[in-house]
Amino acid sequence: MATSNTEKSPGNWLHFLYKFFTSFKLATLVLVLLTFITLFGTLAQVNHGLVASKRFYFDSWFLWYSIKEVDGSFTPVFPFAPGGMLLMVILFTNMLMGAIVKVKKRLRGIGLLISHSGMLLLLAGGFVSHKFGTDGFIALYPGMKSSKVESYREWQLELIPVNDADKAEKAFVIPTEALNALRLNQEKVFPMPDLPFDVKINSYAANSSPIPTSAPMSAQVEGKEIDGFKLANQELSKKAEQNLPGAYVEFVPKEGGDPIEAILWSGSAKFDPKEKNMPFQFRVGDQRFAAQLAKKTWRVPYEIELDEFIFERHPGTGVAKEYRSRITRFEEGKESQSLDIRMNEPMRYGGYVFFQESFGPPDAPAGQMYSQFAVANNPADQWPLIAVSITGLGLLIHFCMSLNKFVSRTRKSNKKKAEAA
Amino acid sequence: MRKFAFIPLLLGAFALPSTAISADKDISTPLESYQAWSPEAVEAFENLLVQDGGRVKPVYTFARFTLMPFVGGTKVKFSTQDGEKHTIKQSEWLMDVLFRGEIARELPTFIVDDSEAVIRIGVSPKSKRDRYSYAQLQKGRAKLADLAAQYAEKQQKWESKEKDPEFELDRIESMVLRLGRNVSSYEYLLGQFGYARGGDFMVNEDILPEELKKLSTTVNMTEMLEKMPEMTLEQLVQMIRQQTGASEDERLFAGAMKLFFFHANSGRGVALFPPRPHDHAEHEGHDHPEGEVERWVSVGEVMLAGLESKEARPWALDHMKSIQGIMDAKDDDAAMVKALQEFGEAQKIEAGVRGEGARSAMEVGLYKGNYFLNALVFFILGFIFMAFSWLAPGGKYARVLLLIATICAVIGLVLDIYGITLRSIIRSRPPITNLYDTVLFITGGAVLLGLLLEYFTRVGVGLLVSLVAGILGMFLSIKYEAKEATDTIGQLVAVLDTNFWLATHVTIINFGYCAALVAGLLGIYYLAGRFFGLITGNEDREFYKLVTRMNYGIVCFCLLFALIGTILGGIWANYSWGRFWGWDPKENGALMICLWCLVILHARMGGMIRDIGINVNAIILAGITTFSWWGVNNLGVGLHSYGFTDGIWGKLFGSWGIMLIFILMGVPLWLNDRKKKGRKVPQDEASA
Repeated sequence: MATSNTEKSPGNWLHFLYKFFTSFKLATLVLVLLTFITLFGTLAQVNHGLVASKRFYFDSWFLWYSIKEVDGSFTPVFPFAPGGMLLMVILFTNMLMGAIVKVKKRLRGIGLLISHSGMLLLLAGGFVSHKFGTDGFIALYPGMKSSKVESYREWQLELIPVNDADKAEKAFVIPTEALNALRLNQEKVFPMPDLPFDVKINSYAANSSPIPTSAPMSAQVEGKEIDGFKLANQELSKKAEQNLPGAYVEFVPKEGGDPIEAILWSGSAKFDPKEKNMPFQFRVGDQRFAAQLAKKTWRVPYEIELDEFIFERHPGTGVAKEYRSRITRFEEGKESQSLDIRMNEPMRYGGYVFFQESFGPPDAPAGQMYSQFAVANNPADQWPLIAVSITGLGLLIHFCMSLNKFVSRTRKSNKKKAEAA
Repeated sequence: MRKFAFIPLLLGAFALPSTAISADKDISTPLESYQAWSPEAVEAFENLLVQDGGRVKPVYTFARFTLMPFVGGTKVKFSTQDGEKHTIKQSEWLMDVLFRGEIARELPTFIVDDSEAVIRIGVSPKSKRDRYSYAQLQKGRAKLADLAAQYAEKQQKWESKEKDPEFELDRIESMVLRLGRNVSSYEYLLGQFGYARGGDFMVNEDILPEELKKLSTTVNMTEMLEKMPEMTLEQLVQMIRQQTGASEDERLFAGAMKLFFFHANSGRGVALFPPRPHDHAEHEGHDHPEGEVERWVSVGEVMLAGLESKEARPWALDHMKSIQGIMDAKDDDAAMVKALQEFGEAQKIEAGVRGEGARSAMEVGLYKGNYFLNALVFFILGFIFMAFSWLAPGGKYARVLLLIATICAVIGLVLDIYGITLRSIIRSRPPITNLYDTVLFITGGAVLLGLLLEYFTRVGVGLLVSLVAGILGMFLSIKYEAKEATDTIGQLVAVLDTNFWLATHVTIINFGYCAALVAGLLGIYYLAGRFFGLITGNEDREFYKLVTRMNYGIVCFCLLFALIGTILGGIWANYSWGRFWGWDPKENGALMICLWCLVILHARMGGMIRDIGINVNAIILAGITTFSWWGVNNLGVGLHSYGFTDGIWGKLFGSWGIMLIFILMGVPLWLNDRKKKGRKVPQDEASA
């Protein structure tokens, strides 16, 4: 009985946990599982695309057995394996406890101690980037100026009161997370405290296409006809940024009266920097409103203007040799700066990094193309560089010490053999 | 027992080349005889310059990678009616195509892997896999064009519809599409200098009316251009669309214009002429984006430029006459050499002014030197010498044979490094810029690692590993070059245009790859050696412990390079794509190598695996590396699209199957060790 009490004492549990988290067995198991998850997450990209595979295998705490819904989304049923996130947290803990805290601090282990420290920094950097980093893009034709960054694939529902001069004053937003939680034919009311109406979404499709009711195929499309159109649900694309969500929406006046029905479709948002969004317009009382599914946006603390986009192909081929953008940066209270952004030479400024990402439209002649910049904000931007230096140094020290040991052992053994012979 | 361990490696090494040499079969042609080009003429021709694939290169390279997709190699073999057998190389073949179309049409130039493909286009099949001449395919030309267009559309749908299996081409359809494309490319070459053939049409003559064919025997296009008014391409097209006039002169003029358009159109494709130097005033009128290099032009473009502007006409006429001169000299060896040399000299002067083609002679030297093939020969020789040394292990003769084998391995390595160095100098880039380069580099790295192991241990294992790695790698490089059949010194896409990252990340990660493959070979050596030792009852446990120690060291080396290389790749990605890590397939492949190295090291330190476990896991590590090296490129997804390849899953699964066989050899070894341990423990307990 006494023994049993001792076994259950908090000290023993702590000791057990300490042993568990510092063990080589745990490290090996986690590394094996991570290898498998990396393999499956790689193969899955062929059929499901990068974003879906990443979400399922690498950004998850657990891998869930899921059922595919009509709209192409998946409903999780039960977890069957640890996810990449959980494994990396365990690996971090194991490394910290086992290779830094527990390990005997001896000269011959110095290389491993240093390299594990570097790996901890690398994992920590990955976590910081994942949690606090943002990424989006800005696309500009020559002469255009902007500070507004657009998300690649996060859509939100915007409600904009419009004044008599057709100017928008302020936008009210139903955020991406709320929209992503919705399913096909799932109804949900979003109360809008500052607006004279509430928003009722009757159905939300993560990828969709409006079909005119005059088209023969519209007979096969479920859903209500609004203004001569029905909203057809589409299979999710492997390239998540190509999904075009759409929704059946009702704007329900708070003071009574018939709700205003609309199909909102993200395809009516702009895709070329020259285009303008075409929101659905309606009136509640005397006030005009515009509603649209638009990409989430945010601003950087300065504006950039594209002065020139230079695109060069290898002679006689369609292969891009180089593309670069001459831009001017404008910041309040500071002199404007002109500089080039090109492949492998981004602009790092004010906590943001601008990369030369792509260009378009595909067949436009030189001089009439827009340039697209990826805009990233990553607090751990330079951590990997520090981590690789630390890890590399540690591994190099360890490898040289091991090689020295191996060579001297082999020589001794060969010498012994020779003497014996 | 050690001498048996080479058997599986030997079998693996010689399994590869069988398909590579199967294409070498004699095919008889209706040609009565074949007059070979003089070696001087061939040399002058293959040293000409041409712009292709975005760079100025020697015609030798152009011919090599033009013929390769057609016939699957760099030689055309055939026999003539006079009973003679002939083998012509790529340059001679291209000379025939450009200057002696009537002969080239009869040469067996197109390999068809399955006769079903030619049956589908209505051509009588020969054997299951055979070569056909352009003349033999003529009967099915129209059907081939129809089917190829149909299959190209289907393939385009497959690509645009996220690889929907409904639109995936089957094997025969792919073959017909490839044949259709090859025949079209061939026709461009055949019709290239049509204007200089005096009315002897090689292709598309069916589309011309009889009257024009007759006219073509009397009209000299060069003389005609001298007299023509200035005209843009649009004006020319408009004119030939108009009704022919009533008078004889008008009809003749309209016919001549049609012929001019026909020949200019047929003459597009082979950019043999540097662009015309512009004077300042003229250049201002041209809208060349900043930094863009004006491209070289083909004879068809030269004709149209001469037609468009009288200022360009002397330049155009010079070029047209020089080609005409070569064409007229084709039956006279000395005149042909002179004409080609003069053409080449003029080309080099113009190219030199533009800073192009400076290393073309070096490039011809690289290919003619056959460094990689010769390296393979030395590796095979080394292997044979080593195998003979096993007949009398430890003796004086064995030591001499091993020394010769080592010298062979060193020569093979030097040849590989020399070839890699030449390639780097030619394109002014670090050693690795594409998948083909990785094969050469990884082979060299693996051979070097094996030799270093041998230097430290002197037990023959490192030498064997280096020879086997050399043989496998060099075979792979030859096979891969023939499969891809594209210029392997090609230009880089914008993202790769950075010598710093190519020299650091790419080189380091590939050292990691070669260490992983050496680890796999050592694992195979250990398991196969001990397995056969178990069967024969002759096992040197101490020796295999040394092999395991070597392998452990190689895994450490692999981790060092793979990890640093992977993180450097992440840092590069952070510079060019805006994120350190994006779970891209190529990144994941590299990560998996690092993870498995860590699995081996941690499992060993935790006492979970011992000698057998280390070697089994080293083979798994090699399997992961082949997946990372080749497999992810075959997935066709991700940002590393410049390295994509296809059609290699079968070979990859084959290699994994072989690895599995060796891994399974570990099972009886493990059971045997356990049994021995079980026996030993009671004895130990008893003695205690």
